[in-house]
Amino acid sequence: MTRFVRPAALLLVAAVTLVLPATLDDSALAVYILLGLAAIVTAGVSLLMGYAGQVSLGQGAFYAIGAYTAALLSLGGVPPLVGLLAAPVAAAVFALVIGTPLLRLRGHHLAFATLAMQLILLSLAGQLEFTGGDIGLQAIPQFSLGSFEASGAAAYAYMTWAGLAVVMLITHNVISSRPGRALRALATSETAAASSGIPVGRYKLVVFALSATFAGLAGGIYCFYTGYVAPGSFPVLISIQYIVMAVVGGLGTIWGAVVGATAITLLVQGLDRLASLPGMPTYAPSVLSYAVYALVLIVVVLFMPRGLVPALSRRPDRRPRR
Amino acid sequence: MPEESALSVSGVSRSFGGVYAVRDVSLSVADGEVCAVIGPNGAGKSTLFNLITGHLAAEHGQITFHGHRVDRLAPHRRARLGMSIVFQAARVFGGMTVRENVMVGSHGRTRAGFVSAALRLPRHRRDEREIAAEADVALERVGLAEWADRPADRLPIGQQRALQLARALCARPRLLLLDEPASGLRGEERERLASLVEELRAGGLTILLIEHDVAFVTRLADRIVVLDLGQVIADGPPAEVRADPLVLAAYLGQAS
Ligand SMILES: Nc1ncnc2c1ncn2[C@@H]1O[C@H](COP(=O)(O)OP(=O)(O)OP(=O)(O)O)[C@@H](O)[C@H]1O
Ligand SMILES: [Mg+2]
Repeated sequence: MTRFVRPAALLLVAAVTLVLPATLDDSALAVYILLGLAAIVTAGVSLLMGYAGQVSLGQGAFYAIGAYTAALLSLGGVPPLVGLLAAPVAAAVFALVIGTPLLRLRGHHLAFATLAMQLILLSLAGQLEFTGGDIGLQAIPQFSLGSFEASGAAAYAYMTWAGLAVVMLITHNVISSRPGRALRALATSETAAASSGIPVGRYKLVVFALSATFAGLAGGIYCFYTGYVAPGSFPVLISIQYIVMAVVGGLGTIWGAVVGATAITLLVQGLDRLASLPGMPTYAPSVLSYAVYALVLIVVVLFMPRGLVPALSRRPDRRPRR
Repeated sequence: MPEESALSVSGVSRSFGGVYAVRDVSLSVADGEVCAVIGPNGAGKSTLFNLITGHLAAEHGQITFHGHRVDRLAPHRRARLGMSIVFQAARVFGGMTVRENVMVGSHGRTRAGFVSAALRLPRHRRDEREIAAEADVALERVGLAEWADRPADRLPIGQQRALQLARALCARPRLLLLDEPASGLRGEERERLASLVEELRAGGLTILLIEHDVAFVTRLADRIVVLDLGQVIADGPPAEVRADPLVLAAYLGQAS
């Protein structure tokens, strides 16, 4: 039975994903694209938290590194495709370098250190000349490939969701294989993992870098879509948002990232409408989103500790993967 | 008894908060030998195993494994040289099936990394099939074959121990360290474990075994090392060790 349900469900999701951009207006398309980008970053967070047991509050920094890398290269005249591919590579390299000392920390120490990393990077980007200071980088060329130029939002929507599909496929393949088993093993017990010959430190570093790669890719697509990047595009709140999305969707589930990103994005959109009603104070939107993140996190942890995906796809005999 | 020594521990010590858990311990295990380590609770047996496998760092002394100095190597490096340990407390990997748990055991001797896994290269697929088949053989040996597709963390404790043993075997070790493998097992499970150890010994595997049950140990071991308060107080063939007055005193002292 399930053998036919799964491919059918996949086809349905693929069809909806393909048809949606053609039917949405520009403001809805913007939400659709940002949702897809958030899901890409969240897939990495979910991998890192769900399988390697690490918490990063600095995922927004890797997103920013990807965006700035692609932006700087394109403004320097490099073909956009090269810029787009360089974005995840730059983020990964940065993660490997900074992860070597950072990953010696555990639990909330690591979370704070990654948060500090993002704050430092943002303030650097806001002060350095080549990153354009607080104003950032503007007039980034459109993404193009040969004679094709991605001018409308729909093209970026397809790019985003294709990127998400690739990220999900990579995640799935990695998790169900030798390195994935090693990750799931060290999430349970680093001691037992090491005694099976798994180099625990190196594996944590590689997942950290992989999660940064995903964030970097999303950042690359983002910079071509918006045409500008500035420190203000990558607030700390965005890193918290990825964690909330990952937890809400279900840590370490392949679909959790998409479900979590969708749920939170729609919720925040709804609240933004509410907060911008006449008579609401100007700070209402940001206060509301912080409050909602906290509330959603608490509710999910209390009532669905494994997240939405496992809660919805409850199978009596087979416990979903953590 | 074969001459060449597989494992040699010399003058190894380790203390916690100024109190020695293992003090100046030396022992040597010949290739193919089954050596039992016994001693009262808190004697330092598990600590000694952790020092050998690298989960704890020794303060003094040196450890040689098949001619390699290993006392400064990380645990995973020692595992790759062929040491496999089954811990006293069950450490089964959650979120995985029983078969996948056993497949983890092969990690140290297989190579597929993130890239070949992400791209599903043909070589990776072939490796996966081989590892799965080998895991099934190991599960068969410990009597868990029909549990292969179940979630590992749902197994009863006795079976979790057996699962760890299968995982250790899937690593194709040269030295197997078993920390109280029979504790908590019932009569027939215990018997199955004993005959598996005999079978492994017949296959030439070197085994270091911690066990409280003296009858069990006498049946399986070529030699017994007795630890008390972190020190070796006797070392020899089972019959000799059982008659040793120091050993009797250590055990009687504990009982009173
Ligand atoms: N990580 C640790 N920190 C502090 N003390 C420890 C630690 N590990 C062991 N000890 C102490 O070292 C001594 C030896 O412990 P160990 O676990 O090696 O004993 P054991 O012989 O395995 O006992 P048992 O038969 O109960 O398993 C004990 O006094 C124990 O409290
Ligand atoms: Mg012990």
